[in-house]
Amino acid sequence: MAARLTKMVLPATLRSMVAMRDTAISQLRRGVLEFCVLALLRDTERYGFELVRALAAADGLVTSEGTLYPLLGRLRREGSVETTWRESPSGPPRRYYRLTPTGEAALDAFLTEWTRFRATVETLLETGAPT
Amino acid sequence: MSTEKIHPLAADYLSRLRRAGRGLPRGRLRELVAEIEAHLSEAIDPEASDAEALTVLDRLGEPEEIVEAERPPGEARQDRGGAREWAAIILLLFGGFIFFFGWLAGVVLLWSSRVWTIRDKLIGTLIVPGGLASVLIALLVGSSVQVCSGGGPNPLHCTGGASTGHVIVSIALIALLVIGPLATAAYLARRVR
Repeated sequence: MAARLTKMVLPATLRSMVAMRDTAISQLRRGVLEFCVLALLRDTERYGFELVRALAAADGLVTSEGTLYPLLGRLRREGSVETTWRESPSGPPRRYYRLTPTGEAALDAFLTEWTRFRATVETLLETGAPT
Repeated sequence: MSTEKIHPLAADYLSRLRRAGRGLPRGRLRELVAEIEAHLSEAIDPEASDAEALTVLDRLGEPEEIVEAERPPGEARQDRGGAREWAAIILLLFGGFIFFFGWLAGVVLLWSSRVWTIRDKLIGTLIVPGGLASVLIALLVGSSVQVCSGGGPNPLHCTGGASTGHVIVSIALIALLVIGPLATAAYLARRVR
């Protein structure tokens, strides 16, 4: 609805600026998503559905739940997480995800970078000057 | 598999996912389908109402979207067609007019591209060999063909191409030979994105 209104009201240049902002936000979201997955697995193992629902519950992080499964597959192939299949009390077996030492190191490195990055961007946005 | 214990809409979604994922490596698609199937049987009770099932499927997103996410980012960018793909489409369509060799070059480009699946390539090659030039060939051949009715060693009636039936068949054939390559070109172009 809001998108339709935007389309009607805004002239082309403004519209393309809005589109650019949307792309930037979605790229940012995509970039941090894998570290959010790793963070959710830091202290506990979780099975696919549980993990996906937890991420989807976080506001504004995931637009479609299904696209998280390819991400989980990639993290597994990269060695950041490892998985084991276990029987479920109801329905088909569940694949449980667990953080590997590689994943933990990646998460720690991201956390350091992210803290710095967030502080810099926040300051810049609020004061209009770098720290 | 546990497909019989799954909601009909979920089963339908899984077959859409399998169809959308045809271009993926087999192992990847099998894993993806297994995960999504586990998700669906967890999220949708087999006895759930259609509305409940649709809500879950909406949250899951379109199968095409999931397949797109399964492709590595580098590959996805590479998959966007470049000059080779467009040259292939143009040559498949018009290359036949360059002594047929143009079309053959189009086929080579088609099969050497990594953008299209085997199915796309078969469609591109078989509908219609020669591309639009096939109309010309059909016209040349058609003008020398006789249509005979009746059977046995002595056909009862032969026409040299003037009968209404023959004209209708010829027009239909020519229309098919025009529409076929054009539709294929449009299909291949759409798959290039």
